[in-house]
Amino acid sequence: MMKKEIVLLLSVLQMFLVAIVPVWAGEVHLSVAASMTDAIKELDAVFMADHPGVTMLPNFGSSGSLAKQVAQGAAADLFVSANPKWMSYLETEGKIARQTVRDLAKNTLVVIGPQRAPLKSLNDLQAMERIALGSPGSVPAGQYAAQAMRAAGVYDRLVESKKLVMAKDVRQALLYADRGEVDGAFVYGTDALLVQKAVILYTVPANLHDPISYPMGLTVEGEKNSAARAFYDFLASPAAIGILEKYGFGTPAAGTAVK
Amino acid sequence: MLNLSPQDMQAIWLSAQVATAATLISVPFGFVVAYFLVFVRLPGKALIEGVVNLPLVLPPVVVGYLLLLLFGQSGLMGPVFQSLGIRIIFTLKGAVIASAVVGFPLLVRSIRTGMEDIDERYLQASRTLGARWWDTLLTIILPLSGRAVLAGMTLMFARSLGEFGATIILAGNIPGVTQTIPLAIYEYTNTPGGDRMALSLCLVSIIISFVVLLANESVSRKFRQRATR
Repeated sequence: MMKKEIVLLLSVLQMFLVAIVPVWAGEVHLSVAASMTDAIKELDAVFMADHPGVTMLPNFGSSGSLAKQVAQGAAADLFVSANPKWMSYLETEGKIARQTVRDLAKNTLVVIGPQRAPLKSLNDLQAMERIALGSPGSVPAGQYAAQAMRAAGVYDRLVESKKLVMAKDVRQALLYADRGEVDGAFVYGTDALLVQKAVILYTVPANLHDPISYPMGLTVEGEKNSAARAFYDFLASPAAIGILEKYGFGTPAAGTAVK
Repeated sequence: MLNLSPQDMQAIWLSAQVATAATLISVPFGFVVAYFLVFVRLPGKALIEGVVNLPLVLPPVVVGYLLLLLFGQSGLMGPVFQSLGIRIIFTLKGAVIASAVVGFPLLVRSIRTGMEDIDERYLQASRTLGARWWDTLLTIILPLSGRAVLAGMTLMFARSLGEFGATIILAGNIPGVTQTIPLAIYEYTNTPGGDRMALSLCLVSIIISFVVLLANESVSRKFRQRATR
């Protein structure tokens, strides 16, 4: 019958149209360390403006809890960690395409808090009543903070005197300090630019902790996602580097070799 | 199977402290509010009933956040507490207040049911005999609603043991100070490799809750038997 053939022709035509839809169309799931929230949001906006049809779906949290989610099967195309440890963890779990792992940015560690005399060293933390830090078990900022406090010899004493408030990620530690609920909080230098009421009381010397770098990598699913790969390449572009630097992140030298 | 670190034991002890304190503190208030809702005739009772039941239907995190806005350094009552030198946020007091507020509706409901079940004739008889309202309260209402109060207390205790949302917002996650069992489990679930510790604490939590609910059941059963006499 003529009608049947027309219907068949139209459905075949529709299939062709779907097949040649621009290759950028699709969703990109990001799992990003909390400290990169604002930078990534802007990078997403710029990327989506250049690539209509792509929807960026970022998920922010502490690198440890994100790594746990991805390991348990959460949808993620790109993982940005604030600590190489969680990237290695996912590599071991077989979730990351190893050859795509490289450093996205660098950061510093600072102590912020309500206005008071700046600290001369980490020893001065003992004079505080409450100090917030990301829970060292899952938050890289907390791990770097604990590492620095141990190097300064004050960590055990602060734990014993129960002065440490465990935040679920670095942003929560930041809010505690900004609201004045704690006397000091360990956050990244980039976060300190966002506070409204708190001030930087101390910049932790870089030799007290491991270098703070943000490794990023495409997951095994992400490697198959063309939009994700396009975003991954975009993050190496001068435009992206400019945005990262605007938010206070250090950037690896342009043209850093892929691991 | 059960490997509990010293931090876990602290969490269990803190949970017990917070639940007990929250329950004991709330009982007098709960009794008064229940008495008011059942026996006092006043306009606007429905409004008070709504406010009392609010923590039951609100997400606990919302309750916690509203309490934070009330008691925080920059909150409504912040300056008052600061001048008194009392700290609520990030202290055990905060955890107790969070549990007390969240569990209060459960307590009031239970006591109300008990009070409403009191035979009207006893109250009328006491009035005809010339008893004043506080006499009736102490000699009739209190004894006859006693078991309902007990049932409400066990229910509130169990609820306080599981309180998370309001606690983490108001009291924060401070090991040894405010890290109760649910907060400790939450921290373990966020840590890759922390599953075994999380499961151990879950087991402890289940056992405690079971014991408390069984106690509640037996008390309620005795109460029902009494009322049908």
